Amino acid sequence: MAHQRNVSTLEGVKEKHSVSLKVLRLSRPSLSTQHPLPTPLPSPTGTYASPAASLAYPSTDSHENFILSPLLTLPPAFGSAYVGETFSCTLCANNELLPSPSTSTKTISNVRIEAEMKIPSSATPIVLELGPSSALHDPDEAGAEGAKEKDGHELDAGKSLQKVVSFDLKEEGSHVLAVTVTYSETTPTSGRVRTFRKLYQFVCKGCMVVRTKTGVLPSSPKLPNQENEIRKWALEAQLENCGEETITLDTVILETNEGFKSTGLNWDLVPRGEEIERPILNPGDVQQVCFMVEEIQRGPEPEDGRLIFGVLSIGWRGPMGNRGYLSTGSLGTRLR
Amino acid sequence: MSGSSGEATPNRHARHGSSGRAPVVRRATRGPLDIKDPLSNNPQLRGAPSPLNPPHSSLLSPALHTPNARSPRILSPGRSPGRSPGRSPGGPGQSQYPLTPTTRDFSHLLRPELYHPLSHLDIAPPFRTSQHQPDSSTPLPDLLKSGYFRSAAIAAAAQLTSTTNQISSEDHATIFSLFYTRLSCLTLCGNTQLAAQEVLALEDLNSAYYRSDLDGKHLVPWELRVLAVRLQGMGFNDARRGVMGYYDLGREARSTLSKAKAKLRSTEADEEKAGLTKEIQIWEDRLADLGMRVASALVEMEDLEGAAAFMKTLPATEPGMHMKKALLWLALGDIDAARACIRSAEGEEKDEKEEVIRALAFMAEGEYQEAVTIWEELIARPVSAGAASERAMQRQNLAVSLLYLGGMDEARKHLEVLVDEDNSFHALTFNLSTIYELCTERSRVLKMALAEKIAEREGSARSNQGWEKVNLDFKL
Repeated sequence: MAHQRNVSTLEGVKEKHSVSLKVLRLSRPSLSTQHPLPTPLPSPTGTYASPAASLAYPSTDSHENFILSPLLTLPPAFGSAYVGETFSCTLCANNELLPSPSTSTKTISNVRIEAEMKIPSSATPIVLELGPSSALHDPDEAGAEGAKEKDGHELDAGKSLQKVVSFDLKEEGSHVLAVTVTYSETTPTSGRVRTFRKLYQFVCKGCMVVRTKTGVLPSSPKLPNQENEIRKWALEAQLENCGEETITLDTVILETNEGFKSTGLNWDLVPRGEEIERPILNPGDVQQVCFMVEEIQRGPEPEDGRLIFGVLSIGWRGPMGNRGYLSTGSLGTRLR
Repeated sequence: MSGSSGEATPNRHARHGSSGRAPVVRRATRGPLDIKDPLSNNPQLRGAPSPLNPPHSSLLSPALHTPNARSPRILSPGRSPGRSPGRSPGGPGQSQYPLTPTTRDFSHLLRPELYHPLSHLDIAPPFRTSQHQPDSSTPLPDLLKSGYFRSAAIAAAAQLTSTTNQISSEDHATIFSLFYTRLSCLTLCGNTQLAAQEVLALEDLNSAYYRSDLDGKHLVPWELRVLAVRLQGMGFNDARRGVMGYYDLGREARSTLSKAKAKLRSTEADEEKAGLTKEIQIWEDRLADLGMRVASALVEMEDLEGAAAFMKTLPATEPGMHMKKALLWLALGDIDAARACIRSAEGEEKDEKEEVIRALAFMAEGEYQEAVTIWEELIARPVSAGAASERAMQRQNLAVSLLYLGGMDEARKHLEVLVDEDNSFHALTFNLSTIYELCTERSRVLKMALAEKIAEREGSARSNQGWEKVNLDFKL
């Protein structure tokens, strides 16, 4: 994690906890890279390193000469967190007691993990849901699921309880993931409930900056059965990738309010049978998009001299498909 | 938005870094012989002035044809490296020079100060002290065969700089073969940065100094020239140089290819035809390989967009091309484009490689459970010859998928089985070490035990994955 604050409540540092908490941000795994060596032509005298040695895994495919391999690597670091992305993180509570019974007669039970996210705009942290509700592929455990969730988990020495949390990042600024671990520690003579809390702080940055402009287009000529002529506008927007990663724009849609309809004049407008080429935005790149907005029949009423067309929703994918999504505030035009 | 809509183009703003768009000025080649080496100020010291400096760089320079005063050594034309077995002797026709054999002084590659000592510090401790460390007398071919790449890099440098068993400074075949071994082994044992420094001693491989007087053939073997492109790009801290270097080689491959094809058309002799056909195949393979290296260089310089545009220009008929494209689309996050690369129709026997892409596409969407299903199905398939390593990849990807679903214990088991099956590739040890870090505070003990287990490896597990692992492999 970017920054970890270790706050042990209640017991302070008096006695070492029998349970540890470990976390890993689950950004998308990445494709392992490789730098295949050019190998000499086979010759009776020449010896050289096995061609497989320079590959991400010892593939026997002789056409493995590309830098990307299908082998996945777990995220090596916390990375950057951006508005619009889903923050995902695994939390592991581990029984740190040594398995040998002679040294320790303690047992750990009732292990529970709770997680909250503190966001910049609110003083009250948001309680996060922990998934999955039961261990995978384990029908025994899945059966008794309900009761166990409430009572916490039994945890043998050396075993771990793994949970995954997800949170949609919507604000820029400092976020704090607060994790509380509660467990019962039992010795032959006594038992007690212990708890500790760890805080993980990270900064969420903006990745997509949107600038918009509305221009008036010539109105369509009035049809005989219409009362008014149909007004038209062009809504243009510049989408800037101000993050540090290359992103691919997925969808850009003007979600119109009642009374308007919009037509995208963008990359998804291709002749039938042709592939859609999604715009790729490297850090600092700007993509311009444009929509034609039309009134449907009778124009809606302006509010405070402004006509509100709707909002712009933008979806993108980062490296390895990491999804980002945001929608703008109300967009419209000022009437003169 | 500002009012200057007239300036705003419908497309995005121009950007540097892509190949082929902005004119790129080639930088003058500079090497350690010019700048970093104190000895370069005193050429008399070892009698080794840089042979590639301007006064000598032209073929027309008479200095090149002066027989070396010390020990002229006659090379037979057949010694030219990179020569295919079946190739007929190159015609000397185009040379306007008398038929003197090529003698070139490469003593600058034999200087001990060129080769860096390798640090021990990055080697994982169990490998540092292991009884499996090779004997210092182990011959170089054995070191290479057994995956002792670090020792092989040291041995290659030792042979190049040996004073007891001195290599003639004109024996370019031996020098370049050892130099290739040195550089390739440095990249295999995690010392690519050192290789990128040492490769600079080759200076400009396009220089005429590297050409045979007899037939204009390059004296440096193809594999070293290709390897040098990426390493020199890194050494000069200019990745675009790498892309251009591949284009230079591509031009040469094309011209060689067209000459060979013309010759094939005009020749009658069956034996010569067979030789030429073989040669054409070699150069076609090289050309295709260069294409992938350009794409890889663009990915390495983080111009994935440029790489995608470039790969669209490559022939789709090349084996594995649509898989490579799919991987690039996934790295870019365009999942639909990656899926579009999968060709087999519904109901058909599903191609294993395409299933891999399908599973990866689900993972990119965050649908880890769907991916698990595919990985499990793939692993359950019977192992055909040569597919064992593919199973290892699939199983390790299954483990990664499981971790994202909260199945850490199961993920750990899969990875540990892979280690027990003699796998030791970086992603495996790295991922397993990551899981060890997640499941206990005492992860160092587990990571050390893992390193110790791999240090005990013998046989093929070593040769094709390298034996000595570095701390980074175990997150130590």
